[in-house]
Amino acid sequence: MNDDVSQRHSAFRFHGSWQEFARIAFPNLLLTIVTLGIYRFWATTREREYLWSKTDFIDERLEWTGKGMELFIGFIMVFLLIGLPFIVIQLISQGLIFRGETIIAAVVTLMMFLLLFYLTGVAYFRALRYRLSRTYWRGIRGGSDDPGFQYGLAYMWKSVVGWLPIFLLVPWSMISLWNDRWNAMSFGPHRFSATAEWKPLMKRYLLFYLVPFLVFVGGIVFGISMAASGGAPNALGSTGIAIGAILAIIAVLSLYIVLPLAALAFYSKYFRLAVGGLRLQNLEFDFRARAPDWILFFLANMAIIVCTLGIGYIFMPYRNWKFFIDHMEAYGEINVDELTQSETVVAKHGEGLLDAFDVGAI
Amino acid sequence: MSAFFDAWHYDGKSAVRRKVEVQIIGPQFFLLETERRHGPFAFSDIEYVTHKDDADVYGLKEMDGWRLMLSGPVPTDLNAMLPARRNYGGWVDRLGFGKAAVAFTLVSAAAVAVVLLSPQWLAPLIPDSIDEKLGDALVGDFGGRFCSTPAGDAALKKLVASLDANPADLQVEVAKIDMINAVALPGGNVILFDGLVKQARSPDEVAGVLAHEIGHVREKHVMQALLRQMGLAVVLGGIDGNSGALVNNMLAMSYSRESEAEADAHSMKALGGANISPIGTASFFDRLSEMDGSAGSSKSETGITGYMSSHPLSRSRKEAFEKSIVKGKNYKPALTQAEWTELKTMCTQDRKAKSGFGFDFN
Ligand SMILES: [Zn+2]
Repeated sequence: MNDDVSQRHSAFRFHGSWQEFARIAFPNLLLTIVTLGIYRFWATTREREYLWSKTDFIDERLEWTGKGMELFIGFIMVFLLIGLPFIVIQLISQGLIFRGETIIAAVVTLMMFLLLFYLTGVAYFRALRYRLSRTYWRGIRGGSDDPGFQYGLAYMWKSVVGWLPIFLLVPWSMISLWNDRWNAMSFGPHRFSATAEWKPLMKRYLLFYLVPFLVFVGGIVFGISMAASGGAPNALGSTGIAIGAILAIIAVLSLYIVLPLAALAFYSKYFRLAVGGLRLQNLEFDFRARAPDWILFFLANMAIIVCTLGIGYIFMPYRNWKFFIDHMEAYGEINVDELTQSETVVAKHGEGLLDAFDVGAI
Repeated sequence: MSAFFDAWHYDGKSAVRRKVEVQIIGPQFFLLETERRHGPFAFSDIEYVTHKDDADVYGLKEMDGWRLMLSGPVPTDLNAMLPARRNYGGWVDRLGFGKAAVAFTLVSAAAVAVVLLSPQWLAPLIPDSIDEKLGDALVGDFGGRFCSTPAGDAALKKLVASLDANPADLQVEVAKIDMINAVALPGGNVILFDGLVKQARSPDEVAGVLAHEIGHVREKHVMQALLRQMGLAVVLGGIDGNSGALVNNMLAMSYSRESEAEADAHSMKALGGANISPIGTASFFDRLSEMDGSAGSSKSETGITGYMSSHPLSRSRKEAFEKSIVKGKNYKPALTQAEWTELKTMCTQDRKAKSGFGFDFN
């Protein structure tokens, strides 16, 4: 029994509606408030259950089987294993500063920072592993047998290498880490293969990287040419100052507007390349959103949040998932007879680390 | 909702979808395909997984990926054997949304109340040895910043002895730091900053501040605050970052105001017992708040913010000290003129003591 994916309009389809999501999101908000935030783990779970169950892959819905309790236990573990020691060490280093032992305090703080850096990497890895292991399609799930401790080290050194040459190798570290993460993951019996390339990303990155310089240089050139065309110096006077002020405002505004736009353009290319390099057995993936789609998406998100005085924030998981699924595409074919159950281990706790560090999805 | 009852099955071993009929035999059932029979399975092992569009999805304990999906009107005999649908998750479903929300609110309020109130009776139960160790760890020799001259020490000792019945378990020191501040720390440690001593116009002013800090020690305010902060960190840990910290700070502030009032009351009593006039302390507060009003950036004024931030100077505080004056009482100065001069110049005389913090304190 073979399903030819390419015959269909799109392998991924999302059927949810925001009205239905609101009936989940608002009670979630209320319960989260009255439980001093503890319910949010169950709230997240309910939202994912809904979003997954409204998502078609070929001819069957996805299923989210994560539990609120898992996320809660993950959070408690992080609190006990990292949060409390961190508070104690902070107290100690404050005491050290108080006593004038600034060098020892600096060393202690640096060690703590390095540990957190390492754990952030591990957290990214484990969150992806957790999400795949709780996602079922036709009774089959994903996962990984790698605990992600190696990845934490790779995360550290690759990030540092990315920053060292005045941040010029950031695209390399991002793509390389994405590949590392996904190459360790599997779905059913099949291993993912991630072979995204970083060089095609450089042009967009340099655009983003050079925006501040371009605005600065452009402003100066424009200013000089204006002054030159203004003729004699005495003709400048107050109008010259006014033009200068306007130029400065334009420069600042363009920094605040152009820079985020350039960042989105870069990220859209990054995500397209990263997903495009992903394979699962005979399936290839594609992410079709281009820079204008991302820009519209973020402008709409901001408009929703501002116009609802912040309450629209609770719809962001819905918006993000819909954007993600609407632009996901898969080609190739799946042999459902060969798609047997994953034999990876399933961790009993959720993405506590990632939750604690408050880094976003995907 | 489709008009006809339909049952689909995934066995969790492969992704093949099977159309089945459910054959009930007592507490067990079989799933019948055209040529195959799956089972028997026990109804007691069936778990509710999720709701998928028009189907309810059930799983089987210990069978990864095993799914039974039922859509349309489920026959009553089968329906009676199936577990209840899950909506919010465990407790909320059992109580109902409204009752659960009220119950959670009450429990949350009770938890916060316990955390806020218990430090007052928990703090005295903490053994003195822990208190002392904490104080030693935090203060030590204060990086060699404590000032000491034989005459100055004697004057300070006399002042402490006149204000407290058990001066032996107090460690009062003057630190060579040019800030108007005084702090009470664990282990009976009270530190007067040299900036405060130099700024004071009479020994009575120093006596009032010192008695106030001794009040913090005797009322165990430091340990209380520590316990309260830890408890709040645990209870409010569920709320994410900023809002939690905000609530935490607000609660801590309101409690510190209460502690300040208690310490003031202790100070007035101690001054009364030592026959020292409280008018000095009142005028000291008066001067501080005036200096605060003329907010500038000169060195002495930045020094005040230290005391002001930990000791909000309200009109009522000053008035309380003024009111505690007993008319006709024969007040005498806290120290003789010679003792006062020795105390005031102690840090100038002691050249061995290191000065300042050696780093930017704020
Ligand atoms: Zn105080």
